[in-house]
Amino acid sequence: MSSLILTIRESLRYRGRSGHVSWMAHRVSGIAILTFLVIHVWDTANAHFWPQAYAWSVAFFKYPLVAVGELVIMAAVLYHAFNGIRITILDFKPEWWMHQQRSATIVWAIFLVLFIPIAIYMFSGIVGHCSELAAHGSTCWQIPPFSDFAKYAN
Amino acid sequence: MAAATSSQKITVRKFQVHSNFERFAYLFMRMSGVGLLILAVGHMLIQHVLNSSANLTIEFVAAQWNSWGWKVYDILLLWLAIPHGINGLRNILEDYIHNPTTVKLINRLLALFVVATVIWATIGMALFDASKFQ
Ligand code: HEM
Repeated sequence: MSSLILTIRESLRYRGRSGHVSWMAHRVSGIAILTFLVIHVWDTANAHFWPQAYAWSVAFFKYPLVAVGELVIMAAVLYHAFNGIRITILDFKPEWWMHQQRSATIVWAIFLVLFIPIAIYMFSGIVGHCSELAAHGSTCWQIPPFSDFAKYAN
Repeated sequence: MAAATSSQKITVRKFQVHSNFERFAYLFMRMSGVGLLILAVGHMLIQHVLNSSANLTIEFVAAQWNSWGWKVYDILLLWLAIPHGINGLRNILEDYIHNPTTVKLINRLLALFVVATVIWATIGMALFDASKFQ
């Protein structure tokens, strides 16, 4: 435990360069995806085992804060995927390690080129959903009641 | 054991990892990573960009899981992503926890969690009856 606190403190203080940043980003994105994935998998299994809970949860996932969380997971998956491929290539081709700094920059560039338009698109989807509800006198800031999905009870 | 070769300024050391499981886990992280590049990134782009999550309902899921192609896609994704993610978590935990008894206990719990999650979710997807939601 003390070594974890030490790592977090020193990771933030350490003036490492691209390799250090990539290592932290890979680790943090991996944990973020895993946290979401475990919830997502058990939730999705409910589509069969407990449909009412599943139907409620997909409605709840449109709540703006959850939808923004989805955007964060999108960023994490894209970065982690491209950086993971970079790690794999360099592991099998250690001779190419002299390019490690440039490869880290290329991964960030590919990530940004893909993620920025996707983020704008997804964010406007959230705004669109909220303004559509607002036009009908409703709000996206309300958590849907579980009883709204009673017809799915098995 | 270690043979060193030098190419320009890079020193390459090759060595054999002793435990077969650790060697397998190392290779699995990289091989599943390649699979996940297609399956996980594909899943994110298909579900959240091509289909907007704003109109996601259980009926929409049922329309997709009406075909075995999508069921198999999602089951494969599950089989790669859960072991990859939990093994990654194990790697991280082992960096910070050094008590061998605690490490052993955590490893057993994580292994149990992988098996339980994969079996439960595979059954859920395989048995999901799309006709109930149409
Ligand atoms: C999308 C394609 C993916 C690729 C190409 C990929 C690749 C990799 C690779 C190569 C590693 C090993 C890094 C190392 O040993 O130094 C790794 C670690 C990890 N991955 Fe992935 N991965 C992907 C998706 C995922 C997913 C979906 C999750 C979550 C369920 C995940 C969670 C993790 C975690 C937690 C680690 C450990 C990080 C660490 O040791 O610092 N990855 N990934």
